[in-house]
Amino acid sequence: MTVEIKRRSPLTFSETPLKTEVRDYWTVVQEYEAENDGPWVIDLSHRSRWDLQDSDLANVQPAGALIPDAPGHCAFDNGVLINRMNRTQASIWHLAGAPPELPADAACTETTDATLFLALIGRNIFAIAEKLTALDFKDPAKTVPFLYQGPFSHVPCQIVTLERTTGSGGILLTCSRGYGRDMGHAILAAGDEFGLRPAGENTFLRWIEALSA
Amino acid sequence: MALTLTCPVCGKRNGYEFRYGGEEKGPRPDEADLTPQAWCEYVHMNKCVAGIQKEWWCHKDGCGVWFTTHRNTTCNLEVDTPEAQS
Repeated sequence: MTVEIKRRSPLTFSETPLKTEVRDYWTVVQEYEAENDGPWVIDLSHRSRWDLQDSDLANVQPAGALIPDAPGHCAFDNGVLINRMNRTQASIWHLAGAPPELPADAACTETTDATLFLALIGRNIFAIAEKLTALDFKDPAKTVPFLYQGPFSHVPCQIVTLERTTGSGGILLTCSRGYGRDMGHAILAAGDEFGLRPAGENTFLRWIEALSA
Repeated sequence: MALTLTCPVCGKRNGYEFRYGGEEKGPRPDEADLTPQAWCEYVHMNKCVAGIQKEWWCHKDGCGVWFTTHRNTTCNLEVDTPEAQS
């Protein structure tokens, strides 16, 4: 008997997908109809994520990269984002490129199927975020990329600011997958006046490639 | 003014992100020779200070850490150094 495995994103947009791909049992939308020129909300829930815990994180090097020293600091290299959460814990998000090699000796838990993972990129995304959270993404004391652990639309989230320029930027957020549908609804409603549209993974990959260049 | 609290991991945040965990009552009493009355005193009885008291808080909407801080209960403001404010 053949067992058919399907992995589903906690969030589905009502817009019509133009191009999709089945990857690791996920149906990944690569492009939507009428994506326009942003801002965009992009569902990246199929992208691999891990939670890493160790009493001595200074000596752990996931994907060959050092984990940042201080909570709230992030390291982005070779398409892998590492976020220091506290003294003993970090989250690892695979954004682009080849999947990372993870340390075998540290406690590493895959959280891909447990959480929603969204990207908000383009013009006015901080104006949209301002309607949903009191967190200050433009705090001059912080340098990008940086991590906030706090409420977004009243939901506890991990939020990383990857880019912030005048009038434009990009943030990534994860939260428990049970909030997926409502989180998508709240973000699209808040972004309606700014022309926020769902976009496919290709738009995100182009954006992250330009950011890394 | 709304309460803000300083999380040891995330820094100063809106008080609505936190959950109150009660007064700081010191270490758990030694179980040897512990009477039910003494245990009841430790668990249930509070000082309810009108002024500065040391309290437990949890950053429930953020990093989830439990920590202690001082708060002036008469004005509902966090106090950096209790000695300076008393």
